[in-house]
Amino acid sequence: MASSLSSKAKTFKSPTKTPTKMYRKSYLSPSSTSLTPPQTPETLTPLRRSSRHVSRKINLGNDPIDLPGKESVEEINLIRKPRKRTNDIVVAEKSKKKKIDPEVSFSPVSPIRSETKKTKKKKRVYYNKVEFDETEFEIGDDVYVKRTEDANPDEEEEEDPEIEDCQICFKSHTNTIMIECDDCLGGFHLNCLKPPLKEVPEGDWICQFCEVKKSGQTLVVVPKPPEGKKLARTMKEKLLSSDLWAARIEKLWKEVDDGVYWIRARWYMIPEETVLGRQRHNLKRELYLTNDFADIEMECVLRHCFVKCPKEFSKASNDGDDVFLCEYEYDVHWGSFKRVAELADGDEDSDQEWNGRKEEEIDYSDEEIEFDDEESVRGVSKSKRGGANSRKGRFFGLEKVGMKRIPEHVRCHKQSELEKAKATLLLATRPKSLPCRSKEMEEITAFIKGSISDDQCLGRCMYIHGVPGTGKTISVLSVMKNLKAEVEAGSVSPYCFVEINGLKLASPENIYSVIYEGLSGHRVGWKKALQSLNERFAEGKKIGKENEKPCILLIDELDVLVTRNQSVLYNILDWPTKPNSKLVVLGIANTMDLPEKLLPRISSRMGIQRLCFGPYNHRQLQEIISTRLEGINAFEKTAIEFASRKVAAISGDARRALEICRRAAEVADYRLKKSNISAKSQLVIMADVEVAIQEMFQAPHIQVMKSVSKLSRIFLTAMVHELYKTGMAETSFDRVATTVSSICLTNGEAFPGWDILLKIGCDLGECRIVLCEPGEKHRLQKLQLNFPSDDVAFALKDNKDLPWLANYL
Amino acid sequence: MPTNAGTSLSSYKHIVAIGTTVKSESLESAAYEIPRKRKMRSDSAAVSGNSVSTPKKLKSHLPSSVPNPGMSEKEVVEDSNEILRYPVNLAVSDCLGTKSKWSPRDEEQMRAVKEALHVSKAPSTILCREDEQIRIFEFVKGCIDQQKAGSLYICGCPGTGKSLSMEKVVQQVGDWSTQAGLPPVDTLSVNCTSLSKTTDIFSKILGEIKPGKNANTNSSPLQHLQNLFSQKQESSSSRMMLIIADEMDYLITKDRGVLYDLFMLTTLPFSRCILIGVANAIDLADRFLPKLKSLNCKPMVITFRAYSKDQILRILQERLRVLSYVAFQPKALELCARKVAAASGDMRKALCVCRSALEILEIETRGSTGPESQGPTPDDSVVRMDHMAAALSKTFKSPVVETIQSLPQHQQIIICAAAKAFRGSKKDATVGELNKLYLEICKSWMISPAGITEFTNMCTVLNDQGILKVGQARRDKLKRVSLRVDESDITFALQEIRFFRNCLL
Repeated sequence: MASSLSSKAKTFKSPTKTPTKMYRKSYLSPSSTSLTPPQTPETLTPLRRSSRHVSRKINLGNDPIDLPGKESVEEINLIRKPRKRTNDIVVAEKSKKKKIDPEVSFSPVSPIRSETKKTKKKKRVYYNKVEFDETEFEIGDDVYVKRTEDANPDEEEEEDPEIEDCQICFKSHTNTIMIECDDCLGGFHLNCLKPPLKEVPEGDWICQFCEVKKSGQTLVVVPKPPEGKKLARTMKEKLLSSDLWAARIEKLWKEVDDGVYWIRARWYMIPEETVLGRQRHNLKRELYLTNDFADIEMECVLRHCFVKCPKEFSKASNDGDDVFLCEYEYDVHWGSFKRVAELADGDEDSDQEWNGRKEEEIDYSDEEIEFDDEESVRGVSKSKRGGANSRKGRFFGLEKVGMKRIPEHVRCHKQSELEKAKATLLLATRPKSLPCRSKEMEEITAFIKGSISDDQCLGRCMYIHGVPGTGKTISVLSVMKNLKAEVEAGSVSPYCFVEINGLKLASPENIYSVIYEGLSGHRVGWKKALQSLNERFAEGKKIGKENEKPCILLIDELDVLVTRNQSVLYNILDWPTKPNSKLVVLGIANTMDLPEKLLPRISSRMGIQRLCFGPYNHRQLQEIISTRLEGINAFEKTAIEFASRKVAAISGDARRALEICRRAAEVADYRLKKSNISAKSQLVIMADVEVAIQEMFQAPHIQVMKSVSKLSRIFLTAMVHELYKTGMAETSFDRVATTVSSICLTNGEAFPGWDILLKIGCDLGECRIVLCEPGEKHRLQKLQLNFPSDDVAFALKDNKDLPWLANYL
Repeated sequence: MPTNAGTSLSSYKHIVAIGTTVKSESLESAAYEIPRKRKMRSDSAAVSGNSVSTPKKLKSHLPSSVPNPGMSEKEVVEDSNEILRYPVNLAVSDCLGTKSKWSPRDEEQMRAVKEALHVSKAPSTILCREDEQIRIFEFVKGCIDQQKAGSLYICGCPGTGKSLSMEKVVQQVGDWSTQAGLPPVDTLSVNCTSLSKTTDIFSKILGEIKPGKNANTNSSPLQHLQNLFSQKQESSSSRMMLIIADEMDYLITKDRGVLYDLFMLTTLPFSRCILIGVANAIDLADRFLPKLKSLNCKPMVITFRAYSKDQILRILQERLRVLSYVAFQPKALELCARKVAAASGDMRKALCVCRSALEILEIETRGSTGPESQGPTPDDSVVRMDHMAAALSKTFKSPVVETIQSLPQHQQIIICAAAKAFRGSKKDATVGELNKLYLEICKSWMISPAGITEFTNMCTVLNDQGILKVGQARRDKLKRVSLRVDESDITFALQEIRFFRNCLL
């Protein structure tokens, strides 16, 4: 793709080289009737040329002999069209010509017909082609479109230069060839360059200024424009700085009532406007075709631009300034990209496509009539294009792009307090503040600041440990977030931050490549990365252009990096002890005694900076939950306290506490919905928390045992009974079956038979409620309850189907 | 002005009047400010015979300091006696007297102190390792003189200055060879941890000998080296080569082939390698290379012993000497040295402790700053014994008791159960057995117990905290659990909680 941009000379094709165009022009010119064949190509060409710049003799060497003849015609033209704007007349596209010509020459439609149609009371008249302000627009053309808010008066008055000024001499005169820099897209005259170039070089060409910038120097003497001369921005520049839009014309019509011409535009987007922003691979002249349409008035259309597929774009090296590349279609709603297929197709296909569309449209509306016609409109434009648009205010554009459409029912739905509480209690929700960890966060901040604040960054290492769910990672990350804000405020010198989770690495050695990628942006194998990192940290060489910023390395789950010979940890912890390493390592792990478990040489390098995140006590948990629920009145205070006390007694894990509260909120929600009364208090009460805790802490086996089949229950009861009788944990299937038969006999149940009983035993064995002797299933197989008999008894006791079971338990 | 010439270590107190003018200015200006001071001193004490022209000299000359009114004469004499015992100490305390006032609030100065104490900053001279350095240097020199290969193994605990000394020796060898007019010695320093695979070391050596000739693919670098060293070479390439393999034990492979081959390179007839291996293990060569002994090419071993208390003190003072102000109370440094020497003799640790003591002071001053920042008491502004003690206790104290006290209740019950279970001769139990005990305790105290899965989770957490040790097993219930902390620690930690006191009786 990059090569396609190679040495694009900004030369404007001479109109004389395109005789076909002239036919069309003559055809369209109002003075000539539609049936009149074109006179001579030569005579008509000046029409366009004069309208641009008289001085511009375009570089590729037109023969000057034509000139006199053209001049004369030009005058005529000028008289005929007094309100001619230079920028309207850019028709220098080559790609279009092919498309247009066959239509023009083979399907001439008499204007009379269109007249007759117009007299009918139809709302809209559709066209395939319209000439508007001297320029012909056709379906499928790409055009520049004004932004309405672009109402800067002097900009408005200013003629848009068609040729951009040379970046050195700041004149756009010139008979010389202009060359475009592939980096900054600035134009340069060949003879203004130092040294002057004789011809357009092959391959990529970068201007001297960009070259200096690339070599890393900051002092670039960019020539200033002469005093008083305003740098005229070309439309291309405006488009790329999103002051203009580009669109593809999908439909052309005239409102019959007021005679205003409209187009339906399909927008192009510059990469900056997409959700991803400009990516590194985006070319300067790359646009995306969107699936967003808008109806706009012809007034807004400025002139043509040329959006091409990559293949054509690579060929279009000499087509001037208004050539753009479009390879992908962009879905504005989903933010997805898709390769554009139809643009790459030939022009013939697109013709067919348009014809197909025509019929379709005729079908769907009686009132709308479609014309296979070209219409030349001149002088229709009232006064000021911008003014006309803004006055009518009928302009829909990209303003609506990016606005998320929220479905009606969601918008109307008012979240209840419980729902809000559920949302905030999600683990994924980042809390606004971190209570109860301010001391630790202060310590981390002091540590990092103390290490990076001075210009001579001293490498250090800190080991952070604590049981899961005590806020280790989130504390460090929020510290880093605060620091980032301070960097932006300028009070802390910039640093680079690499965050690694040890568990996410494919192998411990991969950490080298991840670090290297974080520092330089390149992905290499870990061996290469290790070498480069060694050079960077131990020997003080730079990685690429990377500057002297200190580096902060956060390694979560540090203990995963412990390899057999622990060389990974050794290397990482050895770097901070080297001079000029500027590396700060923050290691996070659960184990308190990791440094002691490591080789002494590593723990010696690790230093003594430790930070312990102890388990939360119940007061802290309570505070955490209440801070999260601030402003939401959904929980009874006692309920929160109960949950936090329960969790604090067992693990002190904040995640667990949040989960319990969220589950409790769900339970409460369900309870309230089921009771179907708009209860006086929509609060989560203790009982809900109790249920949630039961679910969380109670082992699942009780649930399973409560829900097993009737026969299984009898089987289990028999086992428990057997256990009580004999006092032996282990029993055999034979004996259990005997007990079952006796139980069934006394309680009037039908004995199911041995086969079924054996099967039930096997099923319970697979659920691991009962431990079966491995091997073949047979009568003497040994069985054992997997859970305490109390649990089993508890699960089976209150049973409505078989109340008599309790007698045996 | 008082005229006592005894070096009072806290004499900076009385220079405050002068120092206040200096304090706010940068170091250079501080040095120029000093003449005023000196003049006053030479009137009174007349100790400085030679007039000092540079700040550097100024540091080394004897101070005239002022007696501390709060200190008895006897103490002063004792102090100076102690100083006389250690010449370096004397020199350091000399400069203490003349040094300007140090303020922990001055970020510039604080930074300089931190930098001086940082591990990455290599001191200009390495104290206390002169013997070892000379031995290594002599060995290398002998090898180069005789143009013969040799191998040396250096061992020692972490943080005893091995790698640092090696850097110095390499420098010395370079200086010496240029002075003696010998061809320069090729030096290859490799840290073996940074090799992606162990055999890479041979390609590195080969690359050093023949730079740019890596294209030789038909033989491995090792074979190439062996060929190179077993044939007579043309005289042009008779330069010796010094290979330093840091953390050599990372080269130990299963068959010990790499290490063996590496040492064998030095025994080849025309070898020009001087191999110096550095590692922690004292008997690496004996343990892993018994064959070398039979070949009579066992490497010479030089051991770096852990630093003693005096050595650590000297090094710390040496590091702080470059600063033109006092940051540490000498006694605080001594305390640090004693503690670290007793624990490990690891210099890195000593430096870290000093730094964290400095940070404690920094926090303290920052906390106390504000309204009464005008008149800071002079004692406030240096690292005192208590700061150092706090830093040391942070480093060396066992956190077990506090950890146990901060555990959630159920985990405490588990520890309690474990302590009871392992009271007798029993050393370990399965998770299932421990769970039974735990359930018993819970029952007796009417606490609803946690389920078995929760129980295993708690055991894992305790394992992570280093309180229990949970072994590996296929099934959770069969994992073996043992206690890793002393029972008395548990009793002590839990005795404050009434609930557990009865439990453990």
